[in-house]
Amino acid sequence: MAVCIAVIAKENYPLYIRSTPTENELKFHYMVHTSLDVVDEKISAMGKALVDQRELYLGLLYPTEDYKVYGYVTNSKVKFVMVVDSSNTALRDNEIRSMFRKLHNSYTDVMCNPFYNPGDRIQSSRAFDNMVTSMMIQVC
Amino acid sequence: MSVPDYMQCAEDHQTLLVVVQPVGIVSEENFFRIYKRICSVSQISVRDSQRVLYIRYRHHYPPENNEWGDFQTHRKVVGLITITDCFSAKDWPQTFEKFHVQKEIYGSTLYDSRLFVFGLQGEIVEQPRTDVAFYPNYEDCQTVEKRIEDFIESLFIVLESKRLDRATDKSGDKIPLLCVPFEKKDFVGLDTDSRHYKKRCQGRMRKHVGDLCLQAGMLQDSLVHYHMSVELLRSVNDFLWLGAALEGLCSASVIYHYPGGTGGKSGARRFQGSTLPAEAANRHRPGAQEVLIDPGALTTNGINPDTSTEIGRAKNCLSPEDIIDKYKEAISYYSKYKNAGVIELEACIKAVRVLAIQKRSMEASEFLQNAVYINLRQLSEEEKIQRYSILSELYELIGFHRKSAFFKRVAAMQCVAPSIAEPGWRACYKLLLETLPGYSLSLDPKDFSRGTHRGWAAVQMRLLHELVYASRRMGNPALSVRHLSFLLQTMLDFLSDQEKKDVAQSLENYTSKCPGTMEPIALPGGLTLPPVPFTKLPIVRHVKLLNLPASLRPHKMKSLLGQNVSTKSPFIYSPIIAHNRGEERNKKIDFQWVQGDVCEVQLMVYNPMPFELRVENMGLLTSGVEFESLPAALSLPAESGLYPVTLVGVPQTTGTITVNGYHTTVFGVFSDCLLDNLPGIKTSGSTVEVIPALPRLQISTSLPRSAHSLQPSSGDEISTNVSVQLYNGESQQLIIKLENIGMEPLEKLEVTSKVLTTKEKLYGDFLSWKLEETLAQFPLQPGKVATFTINIKVKLDFSCQENLLQDLSDDGISVSGFPLSSPFRQVVRPRVEGKPVNPPESNKAGDYSHVKTLEAVLNFKYSGGPGHTEGYYRNLSLGLHVEVEPSVFFTRVSTLPATSTRQCHLLLDVFNSTEHELTVSTRSSEALILHAGECQRMAIQVDKFNFESFPESPGEKGQFANPKQLEEERREARGLEIHSKLGICWRIPSLKRSGEASVEGLLNQLVLEHLQLAPLQWDVLVDGQPCDREAVAACQVGDPVRLEVRLTNRSPRSVGPFALTVVPFQDHQNGVHNYDLHDTVSFVGSSTFYLDAVQPSGQSACLGALLFLYTGDFFLHIRFHEDSTSKELPPSWFCLPSVHVCALEAQA
Repeated sequence: MAVCIAVIAKENYPLYIRSTPTENELKFHYMVHTSLDVVDEKISAMGKALVDQRELYLGLLYPTEDYKVYGYVTNSKVKFVMVVDSSNTALRDNEIRSMFRKLHNSYTDVMCNPFYNPGDRIQSSRAFDNMVTSMMIQVC
Repeated sequence: MSVPDYMQCAEDHQTLLVVVQPVGIVSEENFFRIYKRICSVSQISVRDSQRVLYIRYRHHYPPENNEWGDFQTHRKVVGLITITDCFSAKDWPQTFEKFHVQKEIYGSTLYDSRLFVFGLQGEIVEQPRTDVAFYPNYEDCQTVEKRIEDFIESLFIVLESKRLDRATDKSGDKIPLLCVPFEKKDFVGLDTDSRHYKKRCQGRMRKHVGDLCLQAGMLQDSLVHYHMSVELLRSVNDFLWLGAALEGLCSASVIYHYPGGTGGKSGARRFQGSTLPAEAANRHRPGAQEVLIDPGALTTNGINPDTSTEIGRAKNCLSPEDIIDKYKEAISYYSKYKNAGVIELEACIKAVRVLAIQKRSMEASEFLQNAVYINLRQLSEEEKIQRYSILSELYELIGFHRKSAFFKRVAAMQCVAPSIAEPGWRACYKLLLETLPGYSLSLDPKDFSRGTHRGWAAVQMRLLHELVYASRRMGNPALSVRHLSFLLQTMLDFLSDQEKKDVAQSLENYTSKCPGTMEPIALPGGLTLPPVPFTKLPIVRHVKLLNLPASLRPHKMKSLLGQNVSTKSPFIYSPIIAHNRGEERNKKIDFQWVQGDVCEVQLMVYNPMPFELRVENMGLLTSGVEFESLPAALSLPAESGLYPVTLVGVPQTTGTITVNGYHTTVFGVFSDCLLDNLPGIKTSGSTVEVIPALPRLQISTSLPRSAHSLQPSSGDEISTNVSVQLYNGESQQLIIKLENIGMEPLEKLEVTSKVLTTKEKLYGDFLSWKLEETLAQFPLQPGKVATFTINIKVKLDFSCQENLLQDLSDDGISVSGFPLSSPFRQVVRPRVEGKPVNPPESNKAGDYSHVKTLEAVLNFKYSGGPGHTEGYYRNLSLGLHVEVEPSVFFTRVSTLPATSTRQCHLLLDVFNSTEHELTVSTRSSEALILHAGECQRMAIQVDKFNFESFPESPGEKGQFANPKQLEEERREARGLEIHSKLGICWRIPSLKRSGEASVEGLLNQLVLEHLQLAPLQWDVLVDGQPCDREAVAACQVGDPVRLEVRLTNRSPRSVGPFALTVVPFQDHQNGVHNYDLHDTVSFVGSSTFYLDAVQPSGQSACLGALLFLYTGDFFLHIRFHEDSTSKELPPSWFCLPSVHVCALEAQA
């Protein structure tokens, strides 16, 4: 259902990005990259208020003609961005939210790997890969 | 209306639009000069009132936009200024005609117009005309500004009259319906008398009046009118105009709230002079409305007394939040009309600018997002570019840098879209450069050298590729090389193997035309592209300055030591100093380089590329000292591991040199890589002292070079090793050629030698030389050769085995104190025969032929030239490896007393361990020929030695020397004495080699004692003749023979008294001694002699006489009486010569 899933480091460089192979990958790079503006804006807007209790899910970042871009940011400022086909109207906000949670859990598992250096690209985690794949092909 | 004005902002609603245009042929330069001056008059305070007029000038304005002038009056061209060149009066009518034509274009809306004529002189100029101004040329036109002010005032008069005209319109008259161009056909046939229609007319007119009020500087009135208009239009659902009224309301409120303006730079200028800045700041604050002061009311007269306007203001003006709501509403109304796309777009842009000031980026982005989707008619490429650029700018304004960069890049791509006939690569490149910050990409490689990579590599790489391509198409290869280098340097980690190959390939293609340099490239836009050194091609991990090779290393003379210690601190150790030293960055390395000598720096590099990397022209970058770098070229295999590279150079002057980095040429790009900028580099200091030039000495020897290398001991490194094979005892001359191969004269030379410790005992001087002859040839000029001779003499132990010596000591042979009367008959003890005298068994042979090695180091300390005056010298070491083959062995040594007590026989069993025939000779005896492996005994008669008479060895002077050592030295001295006396030599005739053989090593205490003269010297005189050795004393039968025994005491103590008995006997030569001679020999007096005690160095004698009664050979044996005193002394001290007397027939 998702056409692109990206994990972005605190310093705003991609840790992981995967998009549907049928589409131009660079297009998604640009899309995710520009969405960071909105993410930054949203974080700074809510930044001061209750850091601990804030909602990690940022909601819809921006819609484009064909896609909707959703964001999620962890407490350590790692961002998850998901691009969803906008024709897919069946997808509710709650489902997006739960997908992000799954993604977050999986990312946490990656971080728990003692052989993974925080800040490196996520390249060799099969579990994470599989999870992303499952989120991308799953059709509602 | 189809052309949007992307620069619009809310303030523009209060401006009057004036078009300034050239007519006829006016150079662009001249036109814009005048245009600029005109533009400077952008706001005018109308006299007699506090109102301010704002003017917006355009030099180009599409007439179809003018048609929307009723909808929003600021779109209406109300003034026209025409600029023209006219040089002759006869052109004048034509010019004037053109002005009229120009006026026609905007004719329906113009309030007034002006014509500025440049160049015309003559009578026409004299005619006073209000609408034409004449100027002789473009320089001489000081009154332009004044004319414009007048012009604007005339505009104001028209505007004011229109405003009053419309505002005072009462409902009694029929109000015309204002409409936009596309509406016109809709109202055909509509009932103009209906209430609905009237209301619509009213509402639209109210809105129009509001616009006019706003333009005329009456903000409050305009607000009131807009409010009324909104009410009216809302009730009749006239959405387009309702939107316009709402927007007008917003604009007026924005102008009120943000006197600083929302349009960026131009806004600030707009307000200058009319209000105080402090007040302006005050008014920004939301909620400060209650105390607001009308900008128009603030004059020199004070606050406007009419309070009614003040009250109205607070009520009518929208709050900042409301402004956005109303904008949203207005835009939603606009969006209902496809033909109002431009209006909607512009409204969005205006709203975004307001939101940007309010810092509400999220909402602003929503407006922008909306603006992106507003579909205008088919846009031209240029318009597309403009549209994307303005979107980018607006995103920038609200802080969405990435989005801004994205649109800028789209605009850039639009510049070179395939549909464009002449692609604007230059513009594309310029726009691409502007996107760099949005992708957090700077073109300075330094920003990437530290820490992790910043930014989104995939998009950055794409951008760089585009920059490369654009700059190449621009026809600037240097630029594309620079960008491509940058791409390769900074994005190396993100490039795939194939991409690396491709980038490298294209870089090489580019550089073949235009090599990459280290010069910063300045771009027209003021940006400079710093050079891109390839610090990752190859990656340098470790830099190490190498010391000179040991033979060339300079050393400081000892005498000058201590000066650098004393300067630092009076303390030997201080924790503070130690701390400081640790922090020293560029710590100096504690060795020196020498001026004029090749110095080396070792780098550990590796190639990260998946193909072979050719690095050319790799050399050192240094400072502090003039340094001639000798570049190297290297080829690194694909993805090599750490690879050592040595860069060399020659310092040309002295001082402190710092190695700052290295330069390379890779793919045709020159790079200067500074070590300071390299991440993760390990260096052990990069500063080293260069001392003045020193000569260089090269030595060559007469001996072959050796493959053996001596174990380096205590820091000595040996440059050359020579080896020689010698037989034990042989000596050889080593001729050393000293060549000065440096550039400085060689002035000083010192030679020392050091024998490496061996287990072998070495006798004599191993190495000896005379330096004087060599020094006579000094100073040695460069290129000259001097010779130096060293004598090598090997003299190892000639005893073959330790155990053999042991055997000898307990042999006991010939140790008996009393000599036998016939030594030749002395029977060698049988056990000697038992020894393997003839060719020894095989295992023994192995022992004998054991080759021993001796090693020594010759140190040549030399100096000269300027380095010498600075107190430096060099040390060259020559390793000498001598293989000592055994020549002869003395397998046994023993002594036999000679007939004389002053002499004795030394018996040596000489064994030839060589494979050649060998002769052995001594000073006195004939040569003895020994075949290979043969052992023979030789006897050497030697005088006994008086060791006590030797001068005490130097070791004696040291009281501290332990007795053992003293004893050792004494023994050595004795051995040397014996050796020199004996002078045993061997010769191998077949090899023409000869040498000495020494017995020093195998003389043990026992043998020595035998070779030593006894301290008690006994002399026996027969008839006054000393009787010793073989000499036979002759005497006559019947005559008494005087016998005298003399004792000289050389021992340090007194000896005696002694009693001696003379025992005569006859030797029958068959082993039988006849002692029964009472009737043949008679004593005159007693046969027993007494000697008194003899003091040290004293002498004593006793006399007696013998009478031989018959002829014959007699022997006299002088025997000591057994008594206690003599027991104390060693028996060898009482060694009296035997006397042989031959009694002859008495002569007649």
